[in-house]
Amino acid sequence: MALHLLHVDMDAFFAAIEVRDNPALRGLPVIVGAPPDRRGVVSTCSYEARVFGVHSAMPSRTAYKLCPQGVFLPGRHSHYSAVSRQVMEVLESFTPYVEPVSVDEAFLDVAGVLHAWPDAAALARALKARIRERLGLTASVGVATNLFLAKLASDLHKPDGLTVAPEDDASIRAWLAPLPVGRLWGIGQKSEAILAAAGIKTIGDLQGLGEARLVALLGIGMAQHVWPLANGRDERRLSPEPRDERTISHEHTFDEDCRDLERVRGVLLEQAERVAVRLREAGRLARTARIKVRFGDFSTITRQAPFPAPTDTDRELRQAARLLWEREGIRRPVRLIGFGVSDLVTPGEAAPRQPMLFPEFDRSAAPPTRERDRRIDRVVDRLRADFGRDVIRRGE
Amino acid sequence: MVKISVTREALSAGLQMVNGVVGARPTIPVLSNVLLEAEADHLSLTATDLEIFVRCRVDAKSAKAGVTTLPARRLLSIVRELSAENVEMDTDDKHMTEIASGAAFFKVMGMAVDDFPAPADFSSGAVFTLEAGALKQMLQRVHYAASADETRYILNGCLLSFRGNKLTVVATDGRRLALAEQEQEIPQESETDIVLPSKTVNELLRTLRDEGPVKITLTKNQAAFEFDNVLVISKLIEGTYPNFRQVIPSHCEERVAVEREMLLTAVRRVALMTSEKSSSVRLSFGKNKLKVSASSPDAGEANESLPVKYTGKEMAVAFNPEFIMEPLRTLVDDEIFFELVDELSPGVIKCSTPFLYVLMPMRIS
Repeated sequence: MALHLLHVDMDAFFAAIEVRDNPALRGLPVIVGAPPDRRGVVSTCSYEARVFGVHSAMPSRTAYKLCPQGVFLPGRHSHYSAVSRQVMEVLESFTPYVEPVSVDEAFLDVAGVLHAWPDAAALARALKARIRERLGLTASVGVATNLFLAKLASDLHKPDGLTVAPEDDASIRAWLAPLPVGRLWGIGQKSEAILAAAGIKTIGDLQGLGEARLVALLGIGMAQHVWPLANGRDERRLSPEPRDERTISHEHTFDEDCRDLERVRGVLLEQAERVAVRLREAGRLARTARIKVRFGDFSTITRQAPFPAPTDTDRELRQAARLLWEREGIRRPVRLIGFGVSDLVTPGEAAPRQPMLFPEFDRSAAPPTRERDRRIDRVVDRLRADFGRDVIRRGE
Repeated sequence: MVKISVTREALSAGLQMVNGVVGARPTIPVLSNVLLEAEADHLSLTATDLEIFVRCRVDAKSAKAGVTTLPARRLLSIVRELSAENVEMDTDDKHMTEIASGAAFFKVMGMAVDDFPAPADFSSGAVFTLEAGALKQMLQRVHYAASADETRYILNGCLLSFRGNKLTVVATDGRRLALAEQEQEIPQESETDIVLPSKTVNELLRTLRDEGPVKITLTKNQAAFEFDNVLVISKLIEGTYPNFRQVIPSHCEERVAVEREMLLTAVRRVALMTSEKSSSVRLSFGKNKLKVSASSPDAGEANESLPVKYTGKEMAVAFNPEFIMEPLRTLVDDEIFFELVDELSPGVIKCSTPFLYVLMPMRIS
């Protein structure tokens, strides 16, 4: 298999944009995220700040303790989205096969355009140069034969790195061998601890372990996922058409971990309504709902569920939020709560629906109240647009 | 211990018969093996995955009776590569089997037979005798409509309904339904319904011949099929099959004869312009014309018109192209009949034999 997949990861994206836009910040530890005197986390920080041990997802208060001289910025997220769009445009100028993974990273399949370049590395160099010229930002790029290796490679020499993974199986295995097992997708702290207890620290240790022993340690599901990765195999393909991965979400971090779970639930339901409003403003329908809950110890769960049919109504979003919340049966104080929707579709291009012959099997029908809910939502949206959000509230 | 002489051809045929149920990673190691039972004039080969049990008898010469087990896949690949006409097998008391054929010689490690599961007892139960070819054809005509969705396990197979002096075979995934039927003498006390798992149906489709009888014995939760020198025993899917009669339209507004092959190739061509997002083709019935068309916002469009005898009202119905093509592929008739009520009601495909296929149109919302 030839080297044809690229993973492009923008370096310290939000912080880099702030520095670019305000050269006075150059060389300073820039920290984008919540202010240091409030609850909330760092979303990105510059490499200068990382020297102090600051990293993303760290509470801003901790970051302040580590780096009191840091320049804390609240973040201009709509601006970052616009820059992200420009980055994707640059990537698309190389190949139409671009799959954005998040605002600051994407996979590219360049198999179809390689003939115009000496090799994939040359293309990757040109791509990095074009991002720097057009946008004044740097990216780290990994070049490999599959998605997993490409992503791993882009992370090896940050910032402004270019890493080409080996091509043949034996060299790939040898290349992976010295890396810690935590580099494998799906190996979290828990699996890492289990492996460490068995003396398995590097991917090489894991390769030597054999699949059967791995199954015994991690269970069949995890082992079947991790084993091919440890040997550098990854069958996943880049979706040829750009997937619609846009999401709409709201999150809230409580000032103190919230013990009043009724209050948390109330915030969640209100978030569902806010998301519904934005969904309607965007003229889109969502296929999937999800909630995110973070506890005092920073452990975080996300749970998602598909809607029976794509929707944008307050009722269905609230219902999904309530269902996901109740299904978890949370009893612990909550630090952060969030609600979001994903897999957005535009009504006109909604796929034709295959109804069931047997009505008892039909899970995909819209609820009978859909049309009425739509009318109510339209009226409420108009009222709020004219008189403010608090002019009307939903009775429980 | 087995000591037997068998022709390569017979051994290979027998192994291929039973090999289909041998799993890649069975829960019990001995299930990767085939059980060999030697008698004076034959050799029985048996394999099972605990859900299905397949036994095949082939002619052989044996000095004495004996049993052993050998790894099924390996044995088959050895036999496939042999070139001499005869194969001699000789097992020692440690389940090591020597295989000699022409100048080739193998020693193959086997396993003790003790762990090999015994088949269920079928000395009692309702017994039906059918034409193997007819059963095979009925299964062929319906099995593709079964569901693979494991949350609807009752639909993960074919219903065989032995009632009203008819055998009715049905499969559905909830979106379309295929049904084939044939006359069958069924004593009232033997009337019953069983749901045969798709895996068993596929085994039967693979092993059933087109001629000769097949004897079916049914117990409460298992079915045995005996034909030629083969025995297939299968667990049944337990539960209540949905009332399929309720979804068969009782009347139709329009009925149109279409050349099967022509419709199949037209749908296949036009479906090239569907995308994952909008996989549907439209059948537009107009005066003496059937237009098959598809369009997809990001791919393009295609259409093809077929001459038909049609003078009914104009109608355009969208279907999943795969759902139209599947029955058309398995039927053999030159001509099939499309029956329609309106754009949103189920359509029906029929042919000159007792078969019908109900499919739900798609809705472009």
